[in-house]
Amino acid sequence: MLKRLLATTLAYGLGLSVASAETISMWVRTGIGDSFKEVVKAYNAAGEDKVELTEVPFSELVQKYATAIAGGQAPDALSLDLIYTPAFAAAGQLEDLSEWAKSLPYFSSLSPSHVKLGTYEDKIYGLPLSVETSIFAWNKELYRKAGLDPEKAPKTWGEITANAEKIRALGGDTYGFYFSGGGCGGCMIFTFTPLVWGAGADILSPDSKKATLDTPEMRKAVDIYRNLVAKDTVPAGSASDNGVNFLTFTNGKIGQQSIGAFAIGTLVTQHPEIDFGVTLIPGVDGKPSSFAGGDNFVVTKGTPKLEAVKKFLEFTYSMEGQKIMAKYGSLPTRGDIAGEVLEGLDPRLKVGIEAIAVAKTPYTLQFNDLINSSNGPWATFINAAIYGDDVDGAFSNAQSEMQSIIDAGQ
Amino acid sequence: MTMSGIAFPSLHHRKRKRSGWRGLLYIAPAMALVTVFFVLPVLFTVWMSLHKWPLLGKPAWIGFGNYVRMVSDARFMAALGFTAHYTIIVTIAIFALAFPLAMFVEKPRPLVSAYRTIIFLPVVVGLASASLLWVWLANVDSGLFAPLMQRLGLTNGRINLLADFDTAFLTIIVMVVWKIAGFTMIILLTGLQAIPAELTEAARIDGARRWQRFRYLTLPLMRRTMALALILSVTGSILAFDQFYIMTSGGPQNRMISVVYYIFNQSFVSFNLGYGAALSIALLAILVTISIFQLWLLNVGDERP
Repeated sequence: MLKRLLATTLAYGLGLSVASAETISMWVRTGIGDSFKEVVKAYNAAGEDKVELTEVPFSELVQKYATAIAGGQAPDALSLDLIYTPAFAAAGQLEDLSEWAKSLPYFSSLSPSHVKLGTYEDKIYGLPLSVETSIFAWNKELYRKAGLDPEKAPKTWGEITANAEKIRALGGDTYGFYFSGGGCGGCMIFTFTPLVWGAGADILSPDSKKATLDTPEMRKAVDIYRNLVAKDTVPAGSASDNGVNFLTFTNGKIGQQSIGAFAIGTLVTQHPEIDFGVTLIPGVDGKPSSFAGGDNFVVTKGTPKLEAVKKFLEFTYSMEGQKIMAKYGSLPTRGDIAGEVLEGLDPRLKVGIEAIAVAKTPYTLQFNDLINSSNGPWATFINAAIYGDDVDGAFSNAQSEMQSIIDAGQ
Repeated sequence: MTMSGIAFPSLHHRKRKRSGWRGLLYIAPAMALVTVFFVLPVLFTVWMSLHKWPLLGKPAWIGFGNYVRMVSDARFMAALGFTAHYTIIVTIAIFALAFPLAMFVEKPRPLVSAYRTIIFLPVVVGLASASLLWVWLANVDSGLFAPLMQRLGLTNGRINLLADFDTAFLTIIVMVVWKIAGFTMIILLTGLQAIPAELTEAARIDGARRWQRFRYLTLPLMRRTMALALILSVTGSILAFDQFYIMTSGGPQNRMISVVYYIFNQSFVSFNLGYGAALSIALLAILVTISIFQLWLLNVGDERP
C-alpha cells in the first residue's frame, strides 16, 4: 500500500516536472547517419526538456521547410544542410544567434566553414551541428579475394580502375565500384567533384557568378567514370539511382566507393561484418580533395522556445554530446576538444578529419537549382555525361543551363 | 385550418416564389463547396500569377510578366511536348485494351464477374503505390522484369529498364494501362449494357455482319460513354505527375518532365510560386479548350437520346 502510494506521488511529481519542461520540435534530413538521432535520444533520456525529431527525406527538406514557414507550421529548429543556410538567412526566415553564439567560450574553435556559411551580412544564423567530409572506402575482404593487398590504399584512379576490374572478375553480383548516377546531384557533388577540385579546377568561378564546368580536368574525371562503367565494374542500377541507394557499399558486394564520413559510423555500428579501409579521394592527377559538408543548426525566426533550443545546442557541444556524435560518424564540430573526443574511437574517423584540410565547400545562393535538384543542370549533366552517348552535348547543355540559372538569379 | 383557408387565393403565387428560393437553398451547399474549393482558389491563383511571388519573402506585382516569360520558356515547351506525346500514346493504349475487355466481360459467360473483378483490381490501388510497386518490379537488381528476362534468355545480361528513355517510357505506359484500363473498361461496359438487345437483334435479322453491327450500331450509341471515358483519360494523362516523379524522377536526363512536374519544380524547387501559378492557369485554359473540343468532336449535347 505504502509502495503504491509512493509510486503515485512519484508519478505525480514526475508529471509536474514534465509539464513544466519544454518540447522542442526539430527536423532533420535523412541520410546523415544516426549521430544526431543518438544525441537527441541521450538528451531526452537525461534532461527535462524533450526534443521531438522529425525525419524528412533529404531531397525534399528545403521545399518542405520553406512551405512550412510560409504556412506557419515550421519546427522550432532544424538541422539544415549547411549550403542552404545563406539562402534561408537571406530570405529573413532565421533567428539571429550572433550575440549568444559569440558568448560561447568555445565559439572561436567551432568549424570555420560552417560558421562562414552560417553568417550572412555579419550576423550569425547558423552554427555547426555535424561535420562530414567525403572519403574513399574500399572493402578489404573483396580486395583479399581478388588477390589485392587489403592494407594498401589506392592513390590514383588508374589503380582504382585496375582494382575494380580485378574485383569484378570475381563474378556474380560482386562489383568493383559504385556511384549514384541517376540524377542525384547532391551525391555527385559530394563524391565526384573532389576529382576536379584536387586538380585545381572547379565547376563555378570563385564568386559563383560563372559556370566553369567544361574544363580539361572535368573531361578527364568524366572519362574515368565512363571507363569504369564501360568495363562493367559498376552495377546497372547505378544509372537510375537517384540517391536512394547511395550507401550500396554497405551490402558488402561493392569493392570501392566514395562515401561520407557519416557512413563510417553507420558501417562500424550497423555493419560490423564489413571489413573496410578509408583514404582520401584522389583527384584526376592524384592530388586528393574532399567535400566538407554537414549540417548547420538553425532556429526558425520568432520561435517561443529559443531558450530551450539554446540549452539543447549547448548539450550537443558538450564533451558528452560530441562523443556521441563522433561515435556515430559525425566529426567533432569543436576543434578545441577534437583530439579528446576521438580518443578510443574508430581510427578510420581520423581520415575524415584529415580530409577537412584539403576540402572545399561551394558557396552559392542557388545550390538547390544548380546542383541538388534532380532535374537541375548538374544532376542531368552527370547522367548524360557518364551514361549518355553525347558527352560534348552534355557539357555544352549543362554549361549553358547553369549560366542561365545564375544569370536569372542576379 | 381556417387560416389556411383564408390565405388560399394568394397561396399559388407565394408557392412559386418560395420554390425559387427553395431551389437555391437546395443547391447552396454545392455552390458553397464549389466556391470555396474551386472558384476562390482559381481566382487567387490568377492573382498570384500576376506577381513575382517567391515562397519566402514579399510578392511584387509584375503584371503579365510571367505569361510573357512562359511563351519563350523552352523547358515549358518541352514539358508540353512530352505531355502531349504521353497523353496520345497512353490514351490510345488504354482504349485499345479497355474496349475489347469491355466487350469480353459484357457477354454472359462463366466466371464473368471474376474476370471483371480481376481486371478492375489494379484501379483501387493508388497511383503512387502502384508507381512504387513498379519501381521495384523494374529494379534491375532486386526486381522482377530484368532478372526474369535474363533467365528466359531474352536479354544478354540484365537491362536497367529505367535508365534508358524508351524502355522507361514503355514501363510507365504499361504500368498506367495496367492501372487505368479497368476503370475505362467499367465505363465502357455501362455504355455497352445500355444498348437495347432488340436493336442488335433487329440488325442481325437484317443481315448486318459483326463488324457492321459494331461500326453502325454500337459505336454511335456509345458516343456519350466514349466521350466521358475519353475526357477522363485525356484529362488524367495531361495532369500526370506521380508516375514520373516516383518512377524516374523526371526520367533519364530530364526527358520525362510533364507539365505538372514542371509546375511543381518551378513552385517548390525554384520557389517561383508566381510563375508556377501562371503555368497552372495556362494548363487550366488548355484543359478546358481540349475538353470543349472533344465534346464538339463527339457531337455530345446536340441531341437527347
